[in-house]
Amino acid sequence: MTTAGEPAPAAGVAALLTGSRCPACGAAFFPPRQVCSRCLGKLEEAPLSARGTVYTHTVVHQSAPAFETPYTLVYVDLPEGVRVLGQLAGEARIGMEVELEPDEQLGFRFRPVGEGS
Amino acid sequence: MSDVYVLGVGMTRFGKHPDRDATDLGAEAALEAIRDAGIEPRQIEGAYCGHVFQGMAMGQRVLAHIGLAGIPLTNVENVCSSGAVSIREAALSIRAGEHDVVLALGVEHLTSRFQGALTPDPDDVEATVGLTMPGIYAMRATRYFEDYGVTRRQLALIPVKNKANAARNPMAQFQEAVTVEQVLGARPIAEPLGKLDCSPVTDGGAAAILCSAAAARRLNGRGVRLAASSLRTGTVDPEPVSMTFEPLTNAAARDAYERAGVGPGDVSLAEVHDCFSIAEALRVEGCELFPRGGYLHAVERGEASLGGRLPVNPSGGLLGKGHPLGATGVAQVVEIVRQLRGEAGDRQIEGAKVGLAHCRGGKAAGVEGAACTVQILVR
Repeated sequence: MTTAGEPAPAAGVAALLTGSRCPACGAAFFPPRQVCSRCLGKLEEAPLSARGTVYTHTVVHQSAPAFETPYTLVYVDLPEGVRVLGQLAGEARIGMEVELEPDEQLGFRFRPVGEGS
Repeated sequence: MSDVYVLGVGMTRFGKHPDRDATDLGAEAALEAIRDAGIEPRQIEGAYCGHVFQGMAMGQRVLAHIGLAGIPLTNVENVCSSGAVSIREAALSIRAGEHDVVLALGVEHLTSRFQGALTPDPDDVEATVGLTMPGIYAMRATRYFEDYGVTRRQLALIPVKNKANAARNPMAQFQEAVTVEQVLGARPIAEPLGKLDCSPVTDGGAAAILCSAAAARRLNGRGVRLAASSLRTGTVDPEPVSMTFEPLTNAAARDAYERAGVGPGDVSLAEVHDCFSIAEALRVEGCELFPRGGYLHAVERGEASLGGRLPVNPSGGLLGKGHPLGATGVAQVVEIVRQLRGEAGDRQIEGAKVGLAHCRGGKAAGVEGAACTVQILVR
């Protein structure tokens, strides 16, 4: 994992997700929040990287009525040092590289790197 | 500050009670605890009521039902630790010298409020992408298998053990043992977890009468000492942390051991929050009762079974006894008190001296867990 505050995303690519970053101590957070839990400094908005690594996963078969089952959930570790939960289009395994893509219903989801465009 | 004793306990049969409500279940449990303590209702000076989804003035409805309206009462919501926190608050009121005899109650009529998988608050950012409570624990199981090289089949031994214990507990929702094959073949809920890895939707009530040391001597002389009642809330971590070890559970457990003056090696039985099969492993390892990553091997060797080195969830746990959210933490104390008094019937642990109860619950994005209690009772 790289240090918090690494510039992201790549130039010209709009960030799909915004988190928070502490200008004082460098800690990063998702979802965004107001105050740094480490040093109590005021946080700034920070765009998050579009790529990360699957920490763990599941296939959900029973959910709230708004969600059609089954679907795959993944916790993804991003280089900023935050872990983001999202749905994955496709089959998951620990350690796989995934990237964010927009999703009409959910706002965003992940897909395996190297698939689609 | 006075030591605190549990003088009497009571609980309803856990299960689905379509023809009853939370008030009725709470009243039954409270009256049994009062009878068990051998006191008159008018000797109770204060009350606490834990619940999650029962709406306003839950505890007041119970008190009005059993002729106790008028005394100070506080309703407690702290997700799945609500009942345990009602015990903690009752104990604190005694330690503070405010009350001598207090009723701690937990109730939930969950079948009238919920069906299927519980989800975090709908406004939570993780709920908006489809997180469910089984989903969280399923992902922890996936990672636990990876980190410790254990298998789905080994995990299935936890529901098998707990449902076998429940079959010896007449108050449990489930009365039948299950096999590993049944656990593995059950309907999938969130992979790798199936239906038998998940605690059921349950209605129930549980109650305990707590009192000061002086009152315990005066009233019935057979109280069980509540040596620690510790509470911690989840921290916000600026870095992603392991999902296979629980710092929240560990912090509550260490505080409880220190206050009680006992260590993990002194514990004779544990009732822990097995809302899902994998949760039992995370709880007992977080409480340092078994080595990290070693619990499933210990279960395989029979160490956590009745008759083993350290029986875990002799009552059947949440998987076998059922999980009426607000009542769960109180029901754990009911089981431990009965075990320490030698009144646990077919599931009695011989010579039990120290019991540990662990409850934790809730989820919010970015927080490890909402609330966790560890309580230690000593004969």
